[in-house]
Amino acid sequence: MQVKHSGEEGNALICALCTILIISLIGANVLRNCTTRFNVSSSQVRSWKESLFAAEAGGDIAYAEIRKSVSDPTHVFNGWTNSGAKHTSPVTTFGANNLVTSTVVDAFYTDSSGNPWFRARSRGTAVIRGLSQVGMDDRMGAGARGDSLLRKIDFNTDHFVATYGPNGDGIGKALVPPSSSPYPSITRRIEQISAPITPFEAAIKAAGTFYGLGSAAYIDSFRSSVGPYDPNVKNNPSDPRYIDARSGTVEINTSLATVLGSIFGNLYTNGGTVTKKTASVSGVIDNNVPFSINPLEMPATTTWNYVANPTAVTGNTTIDPPLVNGQPRAGTPGSPNYYLISYFVNNGNLLVNPAVINGTPQDTYVTLAVTGDIGNSTSSQPTITVPANVHLKIYFTGNFQTKAENIINTSGYAGNLQFYAISPTDPSVHQTINLNSGGGSNAGFSAVFYAPSADFTINGAPDITGAIVCKNFYANGNVHWHYDRRLDTEGVAVDYRIVSYVEDIR
Amino acid sequence: MKLKTTTSRLAFTLAETMIALSASSVLLGATLTSSTALQKSFNAIDTYFATHMQQIRIVDYLSRDVKRGLVVTTSADLQTVTITVPNYIIQAGDPEAVANPDLVGTPRNPTMTYTPSGVQVNYGAANSTVVYSINGVSILRTENGNVTTIASSTDQLVPQTTDVELANTEYAKTSITFQPIFTSGGTTAERTGTTVYSTAYLRNKRRG
Repeated sequence: MQVKHSGEEGNALICALCTILIISLIGANVLRNCTTRFNVSSSQVRSWKESLFAAEAGGDIAYAEIRKSVSDPTHVFNGWTNSGAKHTSPVTTFGANNLVTSTVVDAFYTDSSGNPWFRARSRGTAVIRGLSQVGMDDRMGAGARGDSLLRKIDFNTDHFVATYGPNGDGIGKALVPPSSSPYPSITRRIEQISAPITPFEAAIKAAGTFYGLGSAAYIDSFRSSVGPYDPNVKNNPSDPRYIDARSGTVEINTSLATVLGSIFGNLYTNGGTVTKKTASVSGVIDNNVPFSINPLEMPATTTWNYVANPTAVTGNTTIDPPLVNGQPRAGTPGSPNYYLISYFVNNGNLLVNPAVINGTPQDTYVTLAVTGDIGNSTSSQPTITVPANVHLKIYFTGNFQTKAENIINTSGYAGNLQFYAISPTDPSVHQTINLNSGGGSNAGFSAVFYAPSADFTINGAPDITGAIVCKNFYANGNVHWHYDRRLDTEGVAVDYRIVSYVEDIR
Repeated sequence: MKLKTTTSRLAFTLAETMIALSASSVLLGATLTSSTALQKSFNAIDTYFATHMQQIRIVDYLSRDVKRGLVVTTSADLQTVTITVPNYIIQAGDPEAVANPDLVGTPRNPTMTYTPSGVQVNYGAANSTVVYSINGVSILRTENGNVTTIASSTDQLVPQTTDVELANTEYAKTSITFQPIFTSGGTTAERTGTTVYSTAYLRNKRRG
């Protein structure tokens, strides 16, 4: 039997399709909203944070290399692209999300001590996963942008290169795809400044034991850039220099500390039992301050001006500046006149003269590298004389022994005569610095010593202006020790610290 | 065979019509009610997440500025945050830009100053000041007088920041809440359930 159907079947199909279409449109709209929110909350926010982590990781890598310039100068910036004072790291990819970082380091400044300061510009990139077509969540209000002002995502082009150039200096602008192409990504950039840590931040710093100075001895301080030393200032709170008179700090990295005399400053030990009742200390006593001192290596000499003569100090030896185009070369902190001294006889007398131009002495920078000892017995009396305007650094690999009166620093500024004891490569070798009294009760010297592997001994009661970093410290006399606070930025870098952080938010 | 016609049985009875109308009304009503409810729910969720995203945006803005900042101070009501940041980029009108207009928009070279509390690295003679504040339903970020609305919501976004000073550094703790438009059984959703927390430390040594 044939059945005749009515014509309503077509309308039902259309109605069904329309319903599906409407529901699909609603669903698509909901999905689009959800995906946008998900993209922002999950992918974009995460990548924005991760890109900073990547940039800071690049900064850490650079900082580790910068520290090598002190601890391991022969391997500093190995594997980087080096061009003069500029060093470019290889690109490093790391982490589960394949973060990418790279850094450019440049020695952009040399301070008055000749130490380079480093600027590290690091960039970190994180790829954004998810649907790039949904874009960013800028829905905030009429005419107002939301996330795109903060999180600058490179979808199809690298906005930084397009707007500011690859180095951010406006040079070389170009429309280029992001490095993560075809995926969008976020790149953040930071700049960190690493400053040298100089060795003389305290009057006495001993990595091992400490004994001294003497029952009537004292350690105080002053700041020579403000005025000359005055023994009365430390007891006169109304004096404007009083703030600088009580910084004769002593730092000891063990519990073995026998503290005699008076310390006008702080006292730190590592596990000691010193109290205000057992020691005369004007400042803070903290018995829980560990620290470490790295062995000292001979620094890189590539920027120094090597001078062939003299090669030894025998008898009376005078070093005059070399002549360059008929003029004496005074040198600079970063490029001193540099002499290799193969031996320094026990009773040698060294005089280092400044460069004199048109009758005027110039600030003259001289560095000596002495192989072996400078005086090696109690009968040794080597003499070192540094006139005003001369800034002398002496590196030596052996021991140092002389009388306090034989260290003659005419300027009185301790920073103008610096001794550096290169650590023995064999740790069983015992390195010593022994200064005997001589020349009466007022005899003394102005100098600084950085000898992280040496035992330092002072016999007698000299009057000392300066600072010492050593392994074990022993003094048995009533020494009057004046730490010059100006020394806290003096000396060769023994480490680096990051002193500035800024993000390039463009 | 002759086709059978049923013309006499095509019409609906009144009872059938009434039943159909009733059923249709119920279905239509249910559809409208549920779709309205769905729409409200969707709108509420969408608004919730939109506001949540703005919470995150505020936190990220603050964290970025605190990390690169030199000092952070908060007002007594904890709703205004002032951050001093290095003036890293040369702006039009800066001395360097006056001397060489091509330098506008480029990074500034740092200078070093020795102070009794240690060395300071400075970008330019003066630093920038960034202020976060609330203005009506908007959260504003003002840098050297330039105002940017970083968040705006009718959900009553309320950020609160405290800064804690340590020996050499400082950290800022921020909590941000808003009032959702959800209701459940006539009870308004609680503000505390929306709190987002953040803690950011200065990367620089604190000044002041």
